[in-house]
Amino acid sequence: MSGSYGTFSTKQEEKRKRTVPDRVLIRRVYEYAQANKRNLRIGITATIIGAFTGLASPYMHAIAIDRIITPSVTDPKNLMGFLWWIPLFAAIILGNYVFQYIQTYQMRVVGENVVAKMRDDMMEKLQVISLRYFSEGEAGRIISRPTNDANTVRIFLRVGLTSILVDVSSILGSFAIMFYLDLRLSLLAMSVLPVALVLVWYLGKYSRAAYRRTLITTSGLTARMQEDLAGIKVTQAYAQEQETEKKFLKSQDENVKATIRAILIGSSYTPFVIGLRLIGTMIILFYGVNAVLTGTITLGILVAFTEYQFSYFMPLVDLVSMYDQYQSAMSAIERIFDVIDTRIEVLDAPPERSIALQ
Amino acid sequence: MRRFDYAKKTIMSIAKPLLDYAKSLKPQKGFTQSFSAFKRLMKYHRRYCWFIVAILILALVRSILFSLEPLYTTFIIINVIGPPSNTSLLWGYLSIIVLAGIGYAISNFVLTLVHGVMSQYIVRDIRTEYYRSLQGKSFSFYDSVAVGDLTSRATVDLQMVDMFLRTWLGTVLNAVFFTIIIIVIIYPISPIMTLISMATMPLIFYFTTRLWVETMPLFRNMQLIIGRLSSYIQQNIVGMKTVRIFRREKEVVDGFKEVENIYVNTAITAGKIQSIYMPLGPAILTLGIALVYVYAGYSISIPGSVLMVGDIILFARYMMRLTFPLRDLSTTLGTWIAAYAGLERVLEMTDAPRNVEDLPDAKDIKIEKGKLELENVTFGYAKDRPVLNNVTFTVQPGEKIAILGATGSGKSSLIYLIPRFYDIQAGSIRIDGTDIRQFKLASLRRQIGVVLQDVFLFSGTIRENIAFGKPDASMDEIVQAAKAARIHDFIESLPSGYDTPVGERGVTLSGGQKQRITIARALVSNPKMLIMDDSLSFVDAKTEQEIQSAIEEATKTRTTLIIAQRFSTIKTAEKILVLENGSVAEFGTHDLLIAKNGVYKKVYETQFVQKASPILEETGGA
Repeated sequence: MSGSYGTFSTKQEEKRKRTVPDRVLIRRVYEYAQANKRNLRIGITATIIGAFTGLASPYMHAIAIDRIITPSVTDPKNLMGFLWWIPLFAAIILGNYVFQYIQTYQMRVVGENVVAKMRDDMMEKLQVISLRYFSEGEAGRIISRPTNDANTVRIFLRVGLTSILVDVSSILGSFAIMFYLDLRLSLLAMSVLPVALVLVWYLGKYSRAAYRRTLITTSGLTARMQEDLAGIKVTQAYAQEQETEKKFLKSQDENVKATIRAILIGSSYTPFVIGLRLIGTMIILFYGVNAVLTGTITLGILVAFTEYQFSYFMPLVDLVSMYDQYQSAMSAIERIFDVIDTRIEVLDAPPERSIALQ
Repeated sequence: MRRFDYAKKTIMSIAKPLLDYAKSLKPQKGFTQSFSAFKRLMKYHRRYCWFIVAILILALVRSILFSLEPLYTTFIIINVIGPPSNTSLLWGYLSIIVLAGIGYAISNFVLTLVHGVMSQYIVRDIRTEYYRSLQGKSFSFYDSVAVGDLTSRATVDLQMVDMFLRTWLGTVLNAVFFTIIIIVIIYPISPIMTLISMATMPLIFYFTTRLWVETMPLFRNMQLIIGRLSSYIQQNIVGMKTVRIFRREKEVVDGFKEVENIYVNTAITAGKIQSIYMPLGPAILTLGIALVYVYAGYSISIPGSVLMVGDIILFARYMMRLTFPLRDLSTTLGTWIAAYAGLERVLEMTDAPRNVEDLPDAKDIKIEKGKLELENVTFGYAKDRPVLNNVTFTVQPGEKIAILGATGSGKSSLIYLIPRFYDIQAGSIRIDGTDIRQFKLASLRRQIGVVLQDVFLFSGTIRENIAFGKPDASMDEIVQAAKAARIHDFIESLPSGYDTPVGERGVTLSGGQKQRITIARALVSNPKMLIMDDSLSFVDAKTEQEIQSAIEEATKTRTTLIIAQRFSTIKTAEKILVLENGSVAEFGTHDLLIAKNGVYKKVYETQFVQKASPILEETGGA
């Protein structure tokens, strides 16, 4: 049982850091998605276009304010501008809706099929690998791969992957539009970004450590529960329910404590992010107001800027919180391939060589 | 040809119950059911009403502070930029925006924390209640459920409930408070524009409800299928050896794939509905902004209008901000769907009846002698199909009774009635003249040593396992029990002796060694009565002899009921009880039964005389 090739990794190995690089895992998942290549392409394209159409909306507001509403105060004729603005705006909203629909649907099809295929492969493999993997006590660990691990991957492909795509496109899109609207103001608006990234990354590290601790206590709790229930007849036969309950409650309390700690740490970085966003807003408003007064930019652009600043900070926070999901999905994927790659030790003879017993 | 047909028919037999179950799940109106589940969930909140008060206050503060930023940006636009412009006011407005932002961040943080702590406490309460209820369920409950499924209900399903509990109240309050605050702020500016901007709300509400109603049954079905699928996988893995022996691998996988397929199709259908409705809310709300612009543009162009460009911007920005709480609300509804299905699965088990319970006037009674009487005992797992019929016999203190019978004759059921693992339907069982239902369950069970058919050891040391029934047992008592069970020498031969861990991380024990440890476990409290389900028949001759010797020593002075597989056991028993189809066919000493020339004599001649012990009546037991 030394080398890990051809065998399930042991419990100790499982606890250690992951060994397979992310890109290898991603490539292999991508291979699974080949059966739904078309859905995947359509889905990703729709996600990116959808994110951009979503970003067009604040810009349309800027146009409405600058070219239609503000001039109408002096000359009501400008209101005619709504005749082209409203259909355009509606088209953008409709487009955004349609692309979001396509994205959600197609990615769901891909995600469900990929996980189903992985699970089928696991089940097939489990039927042929050596029986020694099914020794006592290991059952729980093996079972969790086609169930819990597969579910983690499913949730990630359904929510996480789409969010990452949407967030990244929103952030990049916001930057592009901001630079297009006003270079100086965008540089000012983004001045807080490096600080935010460092801070979010640094605090995220603590949060991930706390999250891992939660996972460990959760699997401890699961193991405890599994054993208590497997031995329930013995417990009842000896009337030791209270003793086992005490132990269970203790392990549950550990889990509750670890989870609360993770919540505390996980939520503690949002105030910092919000604080930095505020500083960004202040900078935009301070310079923006002066720029509007000197006529360098229009009022509509200033309003659009505050919105875009909002729309790149939110995805940023979202992305960071996604990192945990991404990590746990990667570990789950690694464990799933661990099963699929297990070498078959006792091979069936090919049919032409099999002997019929008369 | 016929044989081929037969084989084809059995192809799906393993997965058939699961497949039938998955197919039987009809999308049904889950709305009212969901509501009663929600009410039930609210009951768990009752203990934490102070948390709820705190969440209410914090959510209100958070919503107010969240609404200030767009408002003061508008003040900057109206009063600072003008016309007329007045830059001296800028710093004041900016500092209010910053202060409000800081306040928002802090209240948001505290709210998340309070909400999170409350959710963990509630999940803990639900899980504890679930665990406690499981502790009290009778053997018949455990005969019909899979342990893996029970565990996954307390972990995976409860995790779904946890996801919902972490944010739900805050999100709902946020949507409500924020909408109210916005209306309060914008209504005085322009009542008509407020009406226009809120006109889309019923539409959004309608579509959200539709989303809920249409997807909830599907998600519920998905979760129910996943639960069953998990126990299917578990059974496959635990019973892998059997699957291999009977070459049923393909069947197992094919059945799995078919159920998986139903699951994927349901998930995709649900995904389609979600993708239609979910982006609809924000889209409608944004279109509402267009309506506001049209009206605003029109009214601002009317001479003498009090409406200013800044006001219109305020309307538009508030409506854009409103999409965030609405999006959160729709996400929370999504988590509720999963949480509801999970909660339903947890409570299904919590609420299942206990079957065997203490009578209100049950007492702690000491068993002095150990005389056992069964009188007209009738018992069945299903009411109309009795396993035991009118069983009557008496065991004198210290007597050993060997029970014989074919598979399904009711042997295990009979001995499991004594510690009330199951309750009888008619008749009575008395120990020292007292009906066993007069005993408190714990009092009864602690005084009867039990060796179950399934040799189960807990993870922990050998010492802990032997002392399981008597955690305060002295080392002396433990060693005495181990010696009597003929396992002491083996334990001493291990490097860590009695402190050797067993189970997953510990030493691997053979079936015979495990069985002797379970015998030691039964002996450690020195019980007056002993029941043993000795079905370990697949052991080698040496182990056989060791177990035999252990059983003999253990049963010497105790009232014992033992399901016997070996002639040597039967030989040393005072009396033999032969069960046939749930009734006592013969009962008496060996000599008496031989003289009677009945079933026992036939079994004795065919099984024990011709073949040397050990006998193999059945493999491993049913």
